[in-house]
Amino acid sequence: MIDSGSVKQMAGHPFDRRDFLKVLGWSGAAVALSGCGNTSVEDGRETVVSYVEANDYMVPGVGVYFNSTCAQCDAGCSINGRVREGRVLKLEGNPDSAINKGRLCGLGQAGVQHHYNPDRVREPLLRNGNKGEAISWEKAYALIAEKLAGVSGEEIAFLSGGVSGHLKVLLGNYLDSLGTKNHFVYEAIAPSVVRAANLKAFGVEMPRYRFDKAQVVLSFGADFLGSWVSPVHFSQQYAQFRKGVNGQRGVLIQVESKMTLTGANADRWLAVKPGTEGVLALGIINALGMATGEVAELVKGYDKARVSRETGVSTGQIDKIAALLKLRSPSLVLAGNAAEGYAHGSQNAAAINLLNQVLGNVGKTIEAPVSVPFPQMVPSKGNTVALKNMNDGLAAGKYKVVFNFAANPVFTAPGAFKFKDNFAKAGFKVAFAHYLDETALQADLVLPLDSALEDWGTQVPEYMTEGAQINIQQPLMERLHANTRGMGDILLGLIKQKKADEYKGFEDYYAYLRGAVLQNKGALGGGGVEDDTFWNDTLTQGIVKLAGTTTSLAAHASAAGLVLPAAAEADEHFPLHLIPGVTASLRDGRHTNQPWLQESPDPLTTIVWDSWVEIHPKKAAELGIVEGDIVQVTSKTGSVKAQVYLFPGIHPEAISIPVGRGHDAMGRYAKGYGVNPFQIMDAVFEAATGELAMHETRVKISKTGQRVLVVKDEGSAGALQMGRKIAGRVSTDQVDLSKEV
Amino acid sequence: MYRFLRFPILLVGLFLAASSFAANSSQPALTTEDSLGPQVQQPIEFPHNRHAGLKDASDPAKGGMEINCQYCHTYARRSAVAGIPPLQKCIGCHQNIESVRNKPRIVELFKYWDAKKAVPWKKVHDLPDFVRFNHERHIKRFVEQQDRPVQEACGYCHGDVKEMTVARRQKSLAMGWCASCHEKDHPVVAEGGTPIAGQAYWYSFQKPAAAVDANTKARGPNDCWQCHK
Repeated sequence: MIDSGSVKQMAGHPFDRRDFLKVLGWSGAAVALSGCGNTSVEDGRETVVSYVEANDYMVPGVGVYFNSTCAQCDAGCSINGRVREGRVLKLEGNPDSAINKGRLCGLGQAGVQHHYNPDRVREPLLRNGNKGEAISWEKAYALIAEKLAGVSGEEIAFLSGGVSGHLKVLLGNYLDSLGTKNHFVYEAIAPSVVRAANLKAFGVEMPRYRFDKAQVVLSFGADFLGSWVSPVHFSQQYAQFRKGVNGQRGVLIQVESKMTLTGANADRWLAVKPGTEGVLALGIINALGMATGEVAELVKGYDKARVSRETGVSTGQIDKIAALLKLRSPSLVLAGNAAEGYAHGSQNAAAINLLNQVLGNVGKTIEAPVSVPFPQMVPSKGNTVALKNMNDGLAAGKYKVVFNFAANPVFTAPGAFKFKDNFAKAGFKVAFAHYLDETALQADLVLPLDSALEDWGTQVPEYMTEGAQINIQQPLMERLHANTRGMGDILLGLIKQKKADEYKGFEDYYAYLRGAVLQNKGALGGGGVEDDTFWNDTLTQGIVKLAGTTTSLAAHASAAGLVLPAAAEADEHFPLHLIPGVTASLRDGRHTNQPWLQESPDPLTTIVWDSWVEIHPKKAAELGIVEGDIVQVTSKTGSVKAQVYLFPGIHPEAISIPVGRGHDAMGRYAKGYGVNPFQIMDAVFEAATGELAMHETRVKISKTGQRVLVVKDEGSAGALQMGRKIAGRVSTDQVDLSKEV
Repeated sequence: MYRFLRFPILLVGLFLAASSFAANSSQPALTTEDSLGPQVQQPIEFPHNRHAGLKDASDPAKGGMEINCQYCHTYARRSAVAGIPPLQKCIGCHQNIESVRNKPRIVELFKYWDAKKAVPWKKVHDLPDFVRFNHERHIKRFVEQQDRPVQEACGYCHGDVKEMTVARRQKSLAMGWCASCHEKDHPVVAEGGTPIAGQAYWYSFQKPAAAVDANTKARGPNDCWQCHK
């Protein structure tokens, strides 16, 4: 600090540079001292809480690790959580799991923010006008019993996300006890059309894909590194694929109308005219010249000139892809969200599967999957068909009591469904919820759930890898809030209302789970082991590995019934395709209230905390739009306003808005950030499966005159290198294939 | 040459100095070596002297019981933080000591136990959040390697706890105070010339030229990151 002497000295002497630095130094030191004083010391003020009883392994300051299962998506990665002083601090992957082998994606990492989220529901809430009134659990159960009394099974509906394991069994038993068959399983983003096409072509819904064995991967819009099926597992296989078989590095070709994270990693990225993925697949079969019989007959018309005209992919590219696929075998061809999201999505997927078969990939890179030997535990699957059926029932005022669990249809239902209005017609609406999301806000009774890090459970992944496995979910710490309950416990409580005798032996869901696992001890690989030992080992490992049953794989993809529609007519009122972007961190928006996910920049645009409209720079120039312009995107169903981001990775005839943002509920980190493209989706359905064709919505855009600064991580030059040779870039047309491979 | 800057710079300097004084005024003055921390009110006035104090040869009912610090503060040698013993620890002995079972403090203690509630002890020794003091390393060095008495080793920082009832901070625990010890030359062999565990061995690797004997001295770590991680 400056003492009076030095002040006098300076005042009386010429002030030179040295003095200047001295003053700066002293002032700096003074500030530093005040800043680094013992300001955070809490002697005698802060309470230091010790354990009442402590296990030997619990040492303050030293972490303990527990295995459990990630509940952020349904891929079923096993996690290992670090717990210190009874608080879970960090999640990592469990190395024993064949699915994620010790890795965990960003979405999984954010799981702690689901647990500690300040906006969790903490008490059972009963609607009283526009408010939720906290009530006791006894009252909540009594109320459900009262509302269910005299209601027939037909008048009850249960909407849920994908459920598996013992919870699925228990839920099934509860619905049986209510005498209802109205269980609607709804996942807003699910590869349901591809599943149906696979079932037709291979006899299984989801075969095991072996990226690691493939030499070429040709992906039609499958974002397998970001958000498709089991991205953590695929990323590891992808690393193998890149390392190559016999030192030959795998080549990834991505065909899609909007670049995904996987597309950004591809050696060759091809922008295809939206919806023409199937045409391109047939064009490639034609160019390969390997097909015979019926298939050859089918693809005869798909000569290069026609395919190039319809898809916008140059004939040279088609030649190169065909040459590469011929040269390198085995390969793997995938149909993803982008291929299936059209009214003719099944046909697209069928054409792609046919390409796989022509290339002889079935049995090589497409293998038979294994599943757990307990069919009642395999995950229930569903997509918009289920929601549509329920929506129709709701619109007709059919349901007196409606339950909702692990789905947020008010947010994710396409705007054309008018789901919110129809939901209001149900007599009594019960939502099992972690947060007051859009659907829970419409409910009459909200039952607060334990977080995934507080609850017991088992989970069976849909996509198995080496061998089958049942994942164990166990609490990593005590409940944060005294009045939340596990979904299993609630279901057990409800089922006891109907079948008290059958379930009286189970005090809680833990007892039920333990009993159920030990009952099948032999089949789970614990034959001859003491009950306690087996149970403790199971919890320690967090995974039960099983031999599993292998479903046989067929190769009967055929040309029969494969008809691709003529290119869609341009709609002069709504000239652009709307592509809902599925991002790796937000998915369908159920985790948008985890601030890490909002804060982590989108991998392609680097935008944070907001939605954007991706427009091709050429199209933008045509429309006189620049980055940051707020535009109105209007479809037949509705319109949203969002900022523009110029993105060269999108087809000029399409725009893309990411899904997941645009909540008007769900707490402080989700509400009011961005826009929700589900709202403006038209009700166009896939012809064969009846699922929502998510990519079929046509839109127009108009400027609003407002302009904002886009909040993003990339510099002012954007993705352009401004003449700096940071990464060599060459247009895909310029690549000489003979040099490349 | 920079004459025109003299007055503004002086003003800025004065302002910064004054504001930092102002910011400091609500805090106690920097503590000196022997300064005491605040007198802390604890929910139960735990008598350290009774537990850790020296035995009274004439009247065993009066003096202390010479219980090793680490019997209760068992986490100190295992973790960076010493922690507070779990309530279970207190009860473990006291459920068998009928003679004091009805003393008010013990009655209070059992009330917490019966309710299975943790005793809300107040912190006595706290460091700013940007300082990582590691108990385990200090115990390893002084108690295990140099074989010094536990009460002496703990006492370097915590003072003579065996004389206290409720513990009170005795040392400033400020960085200068820590450094005053870390900057001292300490023998690397124990008194009497016995090589201390691995210490002398490792030291000979670092300074192969130097003979390791009773005169060999070394200092505690003085890298910033040792504490400011």
